[in-house]
Amino acid sequence: MQHKLFLPIALALGLAVAGSAIAAPPAGRLLASQCAQCHGTNGNGPGFDELAGKSARELRDELLEMKYRGRVEGIMDRQAHGYNDAQIQLIADYLSAQPGGGGGD
Amino acid sequence: MQTLNRRQFLKLAGVASALAALPRAVGAATTPARVVVVGGGFGGATAAKYIRMWGDNVQVTLVDTNATHISCILSNLVMTGALSMSRITLGYSALKTNHGVNVLQGRAVAIDGAGNTVTVSTASGNRVLPYDHLVLSPGIDFIAPPAGAWDANLTPHAWQAGAQTTLLKNQLAAMRNGDLFVMTVPKSPYRCPPGPYERACVAADYLKRKGRVGAKVIVLDANASIQAEPVAFGEAFNVTHAGMIEYVPNATVQSVVSSTRSIVTSARTVNNAKVLNFIPNQKAGAIAAGLPLNAQGFVPVNPLTYGVAGYPNIHVIGDACAVPASDNKAVPKSGHMANSEAKVCADAIVRALAGEAPDDNVTTNSACYSPITARTASWLSANYNYGDIYDAAGNVKGKGMHRVDLGEADIIGGDNYEDMFTWADSLFADSFM
Repeated sequence: MQHKLFLPIALALGLAVAGSAIAAPPAGRLLASQCAQCHGTNGNGPGFDELAGKSARELRDELLEMKYRGRVEGIMDRQAHGYNDAQIQLIADYLSAQPGGGGGD
Repeated sequence: MQTLNRRQFLKLAGVASALAALPRAVGAATTPARVVVVGGGFGGATAAKYIRMWGDNVQVTLVDTNATHISCILSNLVMTGALSMSRITLGYSALKTNHGVNVLQGRAVAIDGAGNTVTVSTASGNRVLPYDHLVLSPGIDFIAPPAGAWDANLTPHAWQAGAQTTLLKNQLAAMRNGDLFVMTVPKSPYRCPPGPYERACVAADYLKRKGRVGAKVIVLDANASIQAEPVAFGEAFNVTHAGMIEYVPNATVQSVVSSTRSIVTSARTVNNAKVLNFIPNQKAGAIAAGLPLNAQGFVPVNPLTYGVAGYPNIHVIGDACAVPASDNKAVPKSGHMANSEAKVCADAIVRALAGEAPDDNVTTNSACYSPITARTASWLSANYNYGDIYDAAGNVKGKGMHRVDLGEADIIGGDNYEDMFTWADSLFADSFM
């Protein structure tokens, strides 16, 4: 009886330890959530520029420009320094896939 | 292992395993996972919302003593009368209707870490809530001064917004020509590093606008120097509010007598101030007191989960936690940062419930605006990335949240003042709606 109960646990544990892909969150979701304090949940406002639905390329290029242009014009230029380029790409990809009005800008 | 039955195994896993939780499908295929969040400020509200948004039908109960949360953010503008209390009062109804969060009004009074329950004292008696994960976001508690007779109803700290803010507002409004507004800056770490300096600025600005001739603000700082935005506040103290603000560093509080509004510090003694805004030193909120604490009274946490050592399914976020960071680059205690940490914690809990390891591609940030006058403001920006952290000599001392960028506004202007409200309203909505 105890063996029967234990087996599925062992299987599940094995999966967990191996890093199973059960319900894996979308890439970039956690990173992009850190934009929401100022741009709204999922980049969908209220807040500063609406980000949801903007093209990933535009989002990435704007962030990289703010990060590398060498002068700080505002608070977002500072925030862009907080991410490596791979993180910026993940954030841009995630926000571009969110439904919202950013694409109309 | 094979001699363990399921019940024994789960008990062990809950108490001692490095795994935060078993996949829910193993233990309880039909029972949704339960998360209890204690404290409905920026950290707790955000954690409750995001666990509901990201989790697979997780039952989330948010516990708070009060029916609403009154934001410390913008509360200095309630002190000056520029904003109403309702402007900074945030309800929980949107968390219920938009996200299905259960809200329970009451005070969490006991945690049974082995039994995975938390006891909440409510108007209708004690309730024992079982949990798979417990998130504590209790904010701060105050450390009494070493001597004297301190009474926060006579000398309000107004470092928890609400009735305290109203007390201080009324005392400021009662000031007349030549009166002194004496305030303290707590020893770091404390809630909202720029907050005390911001308060000094808007109090001075208020007195100037009201034409209170000879009235002054005296800032008694327990620290050696201004703790946030030294350029902006240095300019504000020395230029914008020159003659109105006297800044006294290295002022360790030795005694406070609230009835006479008198304070003794290592650098200055003031008796019979018109207003004594004594902001005490701080520690983690009371419910965290049974957990391991650092020398400052805050709970050290794992920066990938906000989990607590020895308690695999208890998490502490926001002002109450101590995040491992590089020397002299501490993670600030702020509402914005609490929101940021809550998302990392929420993601880790959702992953743990699915049997997954926490993400290690983790960032947090803080950004805030501070009013300097009734029309102008500065800003502060700080970013943290998970990875190596360093001691003062530059040697790697471990893993944690390393500050990769820090900056402040180079112009203190009106645009920032407008942006302050855009920022605050966005943060309010992301946390509470």
